[in-house]
Amino acid sequence: MPDMIESRRNWALWLGFLLALGALLCNAAFFLNPPAQRAIPWLSVLLAGVALIFLVRGLQRAFGQPKVYRGKFLSSILALVSLLLVGVAIFSFFQARAIPASAGAPKVGQKAPDFMLADTSGQPVSLAQLFAPASGDSQGVPPKAVLLVFYRGYW
Amino acid sequence: MAISVDPPQVSRDLCRKAGYTFTFLSDPNAEVIRRYDLLHVGGGSDGHDIARPAEFLVDSARVVRWVNFTEDVRVRARGDEMLAAAKGLR
Repeated sequence: MPDMIESRRNWALWLGFLLALGALLCNAAFFLNPPAQRAIPWLSVLLAGVALIFLVRGLQRAFGQPKVYRGKFLSSILALVSLLLVGVAIFSFFQARAIPASAGAPKVGQKAPDFMLADTSGQPVSLAQLFAPASGDSQGVPPKAVLLVFYRGYW
Repeated sequence: MAISVDPPQVSRDLCRKAGYTFTFLSDPNAEVIRRYDLLHVGGGSDGHDIARPAEFLVDSARVVRWVNFTEDVRVRARGDEMLAAAKGLR
């Protein structure tokens, strides 16, 4: 008598894998500069969490009912790869948020400290200087404001 | 204008590639970054000190009118947010 048990696809495991992949791919979404970018880190963690639930469920099936959900070995590999993706997504989340509080930074209404630094051609430029009329501006209208953007650097 | 710990040469390459025409300043020893309390110790890819991302809109009296400190380095002030802050000044 042949084995009559119908084998089923372990969809929980595959769904876990796809969710884990999604959690990691959330990092690529920042390059699209979406309006809802503040929600993306949380979406990534949410996807990673749900992925874990499905991975556990999938492994339970693979090992609990090996006759129905075949491939203990392949299931383990898929779960391991998914776990790695989840790990990287969660690590990125904490890594990206590990930034200093900057309690002593100038606040709204406070005066921004003046400074002098070299520009891209090595010429010193001060903050006060940036409020001078632009050299190409024949009307001589000084800018009303200057936007200071501190950034991590280019690599 | 932008400030980072990158040397002028690196910022020049970035400006050329990205087409930036605004003022780009170099603070290789993080002196100004420290004065603004924005130093991220060991935050660089090779463990060196860099600036945490932050944006300030400063008026001609050098008074800060708008600030943005992100909680996540992947989330930055969008161009339209900064433009709206600048348009809100009178």
